[in-house]
Amino acid sequence: MRIKLLALMVSAVAFIATSAHAGHHGTKSAVVPEITQTAVMTGLENPWDVALLDDGTMFYTEKCKGFSVRMPNGDVHALYGMKDSSGYASMGSDLHCSNQAGMLGLAVDPDFAKNRRIYVASASTKYHGDGCKTNFERCDGNIVMRFEVSKNFKSVSARTDIVKDIQFKPFESNHPFGGNGAHNGNRPTFGPEGWLWITTGDRHRGVCPQSPTLICGKVLRIDTDGNAHPGNNPPKGFDKRIYTYGHRNVQGIAFRGDGAAFTAEHGPWHNDELTMLVKGGNGGWDPQQNVGGRGDCPDEYCGYMPNQKKGVIPAIRAAYMPMSDTRFGDLMPPAWQNNGYSQGTSSIDFLQGKQWGMYEGRAVVGIMGIAFGGTPAGMRLDVYDVAQDGQSIKSVIHLPVETKRYRGVTMGPDGAIYANTDEGEIYKITAK
Amino acid sequence: MKSLFLSFFTLLITMHASSATSGDIAAGEARYGVNCFICHGQKGKGMASYPKLAGKPVAYLVDKLETYRAGTRIGPNSDLMIMNAEPLSDEEIANLAAYLSNVKSN
Repeated sequence: MRIKLLALMVSAVAFIATSAHAGHHGTKSAVVPEITQTAVMTGLENPWDVALLDDGTMFYTEKCKGFSVRMPNGDVHALYGMKDSSGYASMGSDLHCSNQAGMLGLAVDPDFAKNRRIYVASASTKYHGDGCKTNFERCDGNIVMRFEVSKNFKSVSARTDIVKDIQFKPFESNHPFGGNGAHNGNRPTFGPEGWLWITTGDRHRGVCPQSPTLICGKVLRIDTDGNAHPGNNPPKGFDKRIYTYGHRNVQGIAFRGDGAAFTAEHGPWHNDELTMLVKGGNGGWDPQQNVGGRGDCPDEYCGYMPNQKKGVIPAIRAAYMPMSDTRFGDLMPPAWQNNGYSQGTSSIDFLQGKQWGMYEGRAVVGIMGIAFGGTPAGMRLDVYDVAQDGQSIKSVIHLPVETKRYRGVTMGPDGAIYANTDEGEIYKITAK
Repeated sequence: MKSLFLSFFTLLITMHASSATSGDIAAGEARYGVNCFICHGQKGKGMASYPKLAGKPVAYLVDKLETYRAGTRIGPNSDLMIMNAEPLSDEEIANLAAYLSNVKSN
C-alpha cells in the first residue's frame, strides 16, 4: 500500500510559523515537505518499538510475542520469543504480557558493529522473589535485557538482565483502565553521549513517582551493564540510576540536535505532556493519597480522581490531581500540555535532514487517543516546534498521514520516520 | 407424524438462527466506524489492551454489549465500555454483533 499526500492543509500554518522559527544554522527553510507514507510491514501483533541499523536492518518488538529483525532484503528472522510463543530461535519463559505490559521497547547499541548488542524491555516473572503478592508492595516485574545478535542475524545469545527492578502492577485495581500490567514506560533509548536511558511508569501505585528508591515513574540513565551514570544528580537518598523522577507513564524519549532530552508522557483524564528533562528534576506527578490536599483514594492511587469513573470538568481534575504539581520546587515545567485533554502521547523523535524542510529539527510525536468523555480522538502524528529553552512550543501541526494508533516513531538512518501502529503495521514516512 | 415433528423442529431452529443473525451487517459496519474502531482496531481485530472482536459469536457480542449498557462492570476497561454502550439501541447492538461476527478472525 502506498499513499501520497501533499501537506497543503498545513501550509498556511506552517508559513506563519516559519517566520518565527530559527534553524540550527541560523537559516530557516520555508518549504513545506511533501509527505509519503508506505507500509513496510503489515499483519504484526501490536508492534511496540523499532530500532534500525545504518543499512536499514530493522529490529522490532511485538508486545505478546517477542522480538525479530527484518533484513534489508525483506527477510524476517524471529529472534527471541516470550512464554508460549513459537517460531523464535530462542525464548524466555519468564517473559509475559498482560494488558499494557509485555515486550515493549528496544534499542541498538551505538557500537553495534563491534559488539552486536541490543537492549530489550519486557515484563518478567524472574525477579518477583517475595514481592508482587499485592498491589501495595514492591514488585520487580519489568526488566531490561541485553543480547548479542549473531553475525547472520538469525539468533541472539548471552542474555544479560541489566535492570531487574522496574516496578510492575501485579493485580487489577479499582481504577479506570485498572487491569494489571498498567503504566510500564519501558522505552530504552541511547542518548547522544552513548548512555542508555530507560523510561518507566507509575504502575498505578501512588507512592511510586516520588519514591527515592522504587524504580517507577522515573527516567534512568545508565551504562550498558546497568550501572548509574556518575553524573546523575538525583536528590539525596535517591537511587543513583535516576536522572529524573515524578513521572506518570513515559512512553517516549528523544534527544534534540543540541542533546537536550525530551519525554512524551501519557497523561491521566485531563492532560498529556512533552517535557525537557533537567538532571535531577521532578516531573511533578504525585498520585499519593492524603497529600497535596487530597484525601483517601481508591486503592491508594489518586491518578484518576476526583470522581474517577464519571465525567468531571478537566480544569477541576487538573487542579485536584495536577500532572505537573507546582508545589514542587524542582518541577520541570512541560514544554507542551494538552489543555484538558488526554489523547495518549506515546513516543517522540526529532526530525533530521533538509528533506523535512521547515519541519527539520522539530519533534514528531505519536498521539494514540481513543476518544472518550468528550475528548477528540488522537490517532495521528503531530509535529511540534519546541522553543529553545524547552518551556513552550511555537506551533504544532498534524502531519498528513493515515489515521492510525501510532505507538512508536523512530527517525531512521535514511532520513525517514519509521512509525509502528497498534493495528499491526510499520510505516516508512518520507519527506521531500 | 414423525416427519411433521421434524419439520416443526427444523422450523424452530431456523427461526432461532434467523433471530440470532438478524442484524444488518452494513449498518453494523457503519456504526462500528463511528468510534468502536478507535480502540478495537479496523474490522475488530483488536489492538493494545483492547480485545479482538472479529469472528466472535453473535450471542457473545450481544450479551457483552447489553451487560455494559446496563452499567455492569465485567473487566478492567468496563468504565470505558459502559460509557460507549449506554447510548446503543437494541437495533444497533444487533447490527454491531452481526457485523463483527461476520468478520473473519484472521
